[in-house]
Amino acid sequence: MNITFSEVTKTFEPDITALFDISLNIEQGEFVYVVGQTGSGKSTLLRLITREILPSAGVVAVGGYDLRRMRRADVPYYRRDVGLVAQDFKLIQSLTVYENIAFVMEAMSVPKKLVTERTKDVINQVGLWRRRSMRPAQLSGGEQQRVAIARALANSPSLFIADEPTGNLDFHTAAEVMKILFAINAAGVTVVMSTHNQAIVNASRQRVIELENGKLIRDEKGGTYSG
Amino acid sequence: MTTLKYILRDMWRLVVHHWVLGLLTLITAGVMLWILGVTTLFSLNLENLLSRLESELVVQAYLVKDNTLDIEKVAAKIQALEYVYAMKIYSPSDSLAKLQEKMGSQSRALDMLGENPIPYNFEIHVHKAEDVEHLVDELNAMPEIDDVVYAGLVVKRISALSRISSRIALVMFILSVVITALVVYNTIHISLYSRREEIGIMYLVGATRAYIATPFVLEGTLLSLLGALIAAAGIIGAYFPGVTLIQANLPFLRNSIITDRAVIFRFCALLAGFGATLGWVCSYIIVARFINSITKPE
Repeated sequence: MNITFSEVTKTFEPDITALFDISLNIEQGEFVYVVGQTGSGKSTLLRLITREILPSAGVVAVGGYDLRRMRRADVPYYRRDVGLVAQDFKLIQSLTVYENIAFVMEAMSVPKKLVTERTKDVINQVGLWRRRSMRPAQLSGGEQQRVAIARALANSPSLFIADEPTGNLDFHTAAEVMKILFAINAAGVTVVMSTHNQAIVNASRQRVIELENGKLIRDEKGGTYSG
Repeated sequence: MTTLKYILRDMWRLVVHHWVLGLLTLITAGVMLWILGVTTLFSLNLENLLSRLESELVVQAYLVKDNTLDIEKVAAKIQALEYVYAMKIYSPSDSLAKLQEKMGSQSRALDMLGENPIPYNFEIHVHKAEDVEHLVDELNAMPEIDDVVYAGLVVKRISALSRISSRIALVMFILSVVITALVVYNTIHISLYSRREEIGIMYLVGATRAYIATPFVLEGTLLSLLGALIAAAGIIGAYFPGVTLIQANLPFLRNSIITDRAVIFRFCALLAGFGATLGWVCSYIIVARFINSITKPE
């Protein structure tokens, strides 16, 4: 799924410009780091892709569809093709690890047998099978992050959005999470990940989009990040 | 079928995971519907009492003493009047016998009158107390009628009481419905508000608004239905002992109270249906509004 931003500006009430005149294109199967300081507009850019927010000006198109013109009833169907890992995990606290992951497939009316198989599969992929009956509050930050990744993988999305997925993790756990993300990308899934972790960006040399005060200041293939 | 199973499972999860709020909704709905049921039953009994009193109101019309009058013709003329519900003709001899029976041992005084002074007369029943005045006016306008006797003050009072009680019953019913609806609405709102984050996450990971909303609506409906069933059980449990107590202490009300068990059970079934419908309507409105606001992009 390719992503296109054409002269996108996002202003929040009363008058805070989070992104200004952003134009970029991300091709299907790319791995892209969105980097920048806190408050540079990274999360806003990702939230525009997931259609949590709409641009104040310009066009955000995913897979050729202008997200602003998308009907509200179609949004859930679009999101089923977008795997999202949020900075704060966004797990349902009242559900167990297994139930959190199964939920995304159940919402699509996938038969129970397939839900069971796929849930087991993705939980194993992130190495949390023994924790499947626990609730998010009983898990460490790293484990919750892995649950969020497993949930995002459950629907086999063609676009994977990760907002600071290693932000709360120690180096070892962060490396594990990155391994999973590279594996997802290797399967042809577009991955857009925001981070300000220099070590991670510099270790893999992927495309780097750098933001500063809401403006795109660098878009470099095989780039690095010096903070 | 698969979706229905998931939705029912999710509804059950909501009930179990948030049982304190669920219990609060259940109790509130139960109490409010019990008050609604009791209020309505009280009004129905009051209406029953008044309509019985009204049906017992009698207008006595006495004919002029004229041997050439065709009694059957006059009877047909009165029967054709708008407000007449039932009518009975009394001949002079019947009337005298009735009077003697009423006077008992003092009836010998009537012998002093010599000739029977009572003319042919009609005992007329009306539908409603407020009809009496109109009927009396029409009877007085008939040349065949000599005199009309009726309990004027009683009629006026019953008529006024009937009007007031109907209005009070209507106001009480509307008030109870509004308060019940508001309480159920607010309890469900609190319940939804406490789960706003969950709802937002569900929408974010691809659940449709209908899929998210249905378990909440079903939960609200189920809790209201259960509340209504508890209210119905409470009404049945309190009504019949109450009726027995009233009949023992206020015997004059014996025939004015609804005692038919089938009627009360039908009333309670209606209350349960009303409770479920009210829960469904309130839940639907609040869930639709809430999910609409929470899923609106900035």
